[in-house]
Amino acid sequence: MLWVALHLPLLSLESFAATLAPEQAAQPLALMDVHRIVSANASAQALGVQPGMKRATALSLAPQLLLGQADARRDLDALTSVAHAALAFTPAVSLSLPSGVLLEVQASLRYFGGLAPLLQRLRATLAPLGHQLQCVSAPTAQGAMLLSQLHDGLHCADRPALRRVLEAAPVGLLAAGQAHAEVLQGMGLRSLGDLRQLPRPGLARRFGEALLDEMDCAFGERPDPREPLTLPPVFHSQLELFARADTTEQLLYGAQVLLVRLVAWLSAQHAFVRSFSLQMKHEPRWRHSDTPSVTVLEVALAEPSRDVAHMLVLLRERLGALQLPAPTLELALQSSDISRRPPPNAELFPTAQSEQAGLTRLIERLQARLGREQVQRLVPVADHRPERATAVQPAEPLLLREHKGSAPIRTCPITRPLWLLPQPLALQERQSRPLLDGKLLQLLAGPERIEAGWWDGALAERDYFIGQTTDGALVWLYRGRLPWSADGVGAGWFLQGRFA
Amino acid sequence: MEAPTTFAPPTASPPGPRAGGPRVSPEALHPSLWHAHQLGRSADHTLPSGFAQLDAQLPGGGWPRKVLTELLLPHPGIGEIRLLAHALAATQRAGRLVMLFDPPAAVSAPALLELGLDVNQLLVIQTHLQLRPGADRLWALEQALKSGHVGAVVAWLPPRLRAERLRRLQLAAHAHDGPAFMLREVAAQQNASAAPLRLALHPAGADQLALRVLKRRGPPLLAPVHLALPAVLSAAALRRAQAWSGTEEEAPPLHAASFINLA
Repeated sequence: MLWVALHLPLLSLESFAATLAPEQAAQPLALMDVHRIVSANASAQALGVQPGMKRATALSLAPQLLLGQADARRDLDALTSVAHAALAFTPAVSLSLPSGVLLEVQASLRYFGGLAPLLQRLRATLAPLGHQLQCVSAPTAQGAMLLSQLHDGLHCADRPALRRVLEAAPVGLLAAGQAHAEVLQGMGLRSLGDLRQLPRPGLARRFGEALLDEMDCAFGERPDPREPLTLPPVFHSQLELFARADTTEQLLYGAQVLLVRLVAWLSAQHAFVRSFSLQMKHEPRWRHSDTPSVTVLEVALAEPSRDVAHMLVLLRERLGALQLPAPTLELALQSSDISRRPPPNAELFPTAQSEQAGLTRLIERLQARLGREQVQRLVPVADHRPERATAVQPAEPLLLREHKGSAPIRTCPITRPLWLLPQPLALQERQSRPLLDGKLLQLLAGPERIEAGWWDGALAERDYFIGQTTDGALVWLYRGRLPWSADGVGAGWFLQGRFA
Repeated sequence: MEAPTTFAPPTASPPGPRAGGPRVSPEALHPSLWHAHQLGRSADHTLPSGFAQLDAQLPGGGWPRKVLTELLLPHPGIGEIRLLAHALAATQRAGRLVMLFDPPAAVSAPALLELGLDVNQLLVIQTHLQLRPGADRLWALEQALKSGHVGAVVAWLPPRLRAERLRRLQLAAHAHDGPAFMLREVAAQQNASAAPLRLALHPAGADQLALRVLKRRGPPLLAPVHLALPAVLSAAALRRAQAWSGTEEEAPPLHAASFINLA
């Protein structure tokens, strides 16, 4: 058994900073629990703020101090995401509260090419989550966990090596030891080695069985089963913002944190997300009871992805177009629509496949910003009426793939104009000959009779001609053949298209 | 220790007294150098336009890639797409996508098929409708050029575009491996432009197009280039058009009874 323990020394501060805008996160921050400071970041400590201080003392030292409440739930959410990301390396991942994650990696060593490459990739995978890590590998879970609070990058290959390092470790490392720290100090017991030399019954009587159990687990003298974490089938993560967000731009920072967590959850099961929904919980406004309390933004991806940058770009465009009814207090991200498949091959040089993927993303981005209906594909329809011969549909990025390189070589003559006027333009007449912009149109070819549509109420009975304007451009015009309509609509000359 | 000169021509003589040595022509030094009386050469392959007379006047012998090509039109519908259709169809046959940005009218799919274009490899992007106020109409065009995944771009630019906006597009086009046609109004001719190739188009009779080269990498071209476009008119209709040209009122009226075979 080889256990890798990850200890996150600044977990609660980092999970608090995730709820802030980035410019705020660099300020002096501190977390409080029942009027006392429990942790402070480096810039706050530089001003003299120390854990254990009262709120008033800390504020008098650093008036600009940003104080947040310690929130175990928030820390647990952040820690769970770290564990999800670690699940991509081994199925045996367990949480070690309050701020540790344990991985059993013996079976994964061969796949990742040894411990050092595995740890390197683990750190790279966890980097987007933005936590400071201390990482120790050791043969026992408890031993690795204890040592990760002291060291970073330590590797104990076997039990004797672990024992040597553990015996030098201070007594305060044990959870049970912290409770009796002063007594142990008074007895001159500084390290775990000192503690192990004492008779066990006496220790158990004075300090309880828990101390001995913890120590035995660390040294590997007592079984220490760990319950592996199971992945929830539905991703749900939420983030309570520190300050209410009035604009959608402010929501993006929080959304990014949630997206990174989503990607950790996805990579744990080697899956890609097809769609996700972002819920924005609004400030309750009792005056306007009709204001919805939650706005839900559904984002569907054309191609399953787990690229944070791409999803963030889509979310930015969608959020930019959104009007929020009220300021947002809390964000939640949900997804269960995933697709499991092998990851795409990484390419050094651009290939047709990577170009298709890039094109899909481009179209998705354009659709997210301009609206789905503004990115159009044209479908020919078998109808003689020119205004109905083209159907405009929203582009489907994945459909483009199926029709690659099938452009026909032109064989047929050109009989139809490319540009169609939205409405046929009624033309003036002079001696029953059509005028365009006050000049006579010369009819060069025609008539071509189109009679269609008696079955769907849009009857067209027209004689089409190709005409030429005085400057030589070709236009397509028709003479309506509906003299019996009472108001004269449909009779006369109309311009419908231009040959481009 | 002297570093070797990077631009030494392969045939040049070893360094020595220049006077009396063989003259080195600038085009042998670097692909982007040329004499003022020659046509510029393009480092990237160009795309044949399908018109031999036009290719002869374009630097590199075709539509340039990775840069903007500006086409100035008096009004839409003078044969501009028939001019570009050959290059666009070649792009589609290579399996790449063609994007039209803000075409001036509704596009007819049957007409595209007749021009030899594949509707499945073509997208129309409408940027008229702005979802958010103050949004940039050229954003979509710039994204498409920057991505480098689009085969060819044809864009109808909004009128009175500032030169720096065009310059921005030109910079984005460096990543775009294919032609990028910017269609603008004729009045834009007076303004400076970052596009290295500018052509003014005007109709010259039925199925004919005249091109004036406003700017190219090479000597100025005074005479317009006349091109015979892919024909819309039959031979008989073309004769009729030629007989009419110039004499407006004396043209014989076309009777509805005189059917003309369109084929």
